[in-house]
Amino acid sequence: MTHSLHREGSLESLEREYVLFIYPARGFNYKGSAPKVRRMVELLYQAGPVNMIPTSLRRNMYSGVTPEEILDSITVEGTRVYSVFNDREKLKKALILLKKADEGISVMVSGVTDRVREIAAELGIEPHMVNLSLGIHGRTDRLAPADIREFTTMCGHGVVSPHLVKDMIRRVKAGKISEWDASVLLAEPCTCGIYNPCRSAELLREKAPLYTLDRW
Amino acid sequence: MIHTEKCIGCGRCQPYCPTAAITYDGLKSRIDQDVCYECSTCLRAAHCPVDAIAESPNVYDYPRALRRYFSDPSATHAATGIQGRGTEESKTNDATRRCGPNQVGVAVEIGRPTLGMSLLDVQKITRAIARAGIHKIEPHNPIHSMIANEATGDLKPEMLGERVLSAIIEIQVERDQLRGILRTLKEVAKEVDSVFCVDAFTVVGPGLSIPEEVLESIRAEGFTWRPNTKVNMGMGRAWE
Repeated sequence: MTHSLHREGSLESLEREYVLFIYPARGFNYKGSAPKVRRMVELLYQAGPVNMIPTSLRRNMYSGVTPEEILDSITVEGTRVYSVFNDREKLKKALILLKKADEGISVMVSGVTDRVREIAAELGIEPHMVNLSLGIHGRTDRLAPADIREFTTMCGHGVVSPHLVKDMIRRVKAGKISEWDASVLLAEPCTCGIYNPCRSAELLREKAPLYTLDRW
Repeated sequence: MIHTEKCIGCGRCQPYCPTAAITYDGLKSRIDQDVCYECSTCLRAAHCPVDAIAESPNVYDYPRALRRYFSDPSATHAATGIQGRGTEESKTNDATRRCGPNQVGVAVEIGRPTLGMSLLDVQKITRAIARAGIHKIEPHNPIHSMIANEATGDLKPEMLGERVLSAIIEIQVERDQLRGILRTLKEVAKEVDSVFCVDAFTVVGPGLSIPEEVLESIRAEGFTWRPNTKVNMGMGRAWE
């Protein structure tokens, strides 16, 4: 989960997406956290996330689960919530609502630092801590190509396979599937719910012409 | 595992595997158990049309169970009782204050992105950290329970044949120790046969200003930081 700060892509693309986490702290504010987290998720819905998962129900927004099922699952103390927004103003709306609610549960935002700093200043929020990404080290020659990593790094645990991305590019290129449907399939393995299918569809539109089909 | 008597050889599951452990064996798909991380992605997301994919019978046998605990994000880790590879580290520091204003948290995200790492390689990193004089790996992190000797950084020997898709080593140092640990990580990066990402987390000043001493240490060791970060918005508080 820590990995959301290592998302790769162009600055323009990264500037449009923000990952937001709601995180109770074991031993500090776990007790009584479930109803608070539920209220915070209700507020997130008002801001329009493009994906979201609570740890109490590991199914993303495109799995057929209803908002009511997501909310009703949040009965376990310590339930965490992972969400992603596709627009600066939507994130801002979410933070306005969360600040006003003041439930006392930790909120993290992953995004381009300068944009997060601007939003925090606009809303009078004083961030507490920053987690800096100091890059990838070691056998980087063994990694998938950089354009494929723009997809795979949207899943922190690395369960969106580079081979699946290539397969979806092939299927989009062959006209067998739309960019959106391919992105919903790519989002499914990510059980943290922070794979952004909107950005993924944009990336597929951008990347597919650059690839050739090795099989039909 | 794939039940070969059920498999129709459609190959649908194969691209779902992050480590390409599923390949054709004749006309049927087969999972190479040595390569498999037990991440369950094929079982969870590949939607086998004939339900030929099933959990391996030995998935929870020790030490193979480590593969599942570290590689399946939905598995609750036996050592920590939470899902995920790390602890709450920077995410809840506004409530816990575990990392103080003069300290820096460092996380080594093993095997990320999407490559995985053998525990032998993980041991190279834990040993290097121990040689650098850091003997306290975050106790709430599952890696901590795998250390056999804190002084040397040795892992429990029976684990060394296993591999994990991702894991996180978390340590905390004083600000003036950051350069040393970054240098150590840079050196050990030459020894491992996989990759790791490095994170540095620190309490910020007003207006999300990052302490210059931290940035200077990062620059001095030849590291750079990405434009995107993770920010604790300071909305948490403790009440227990």
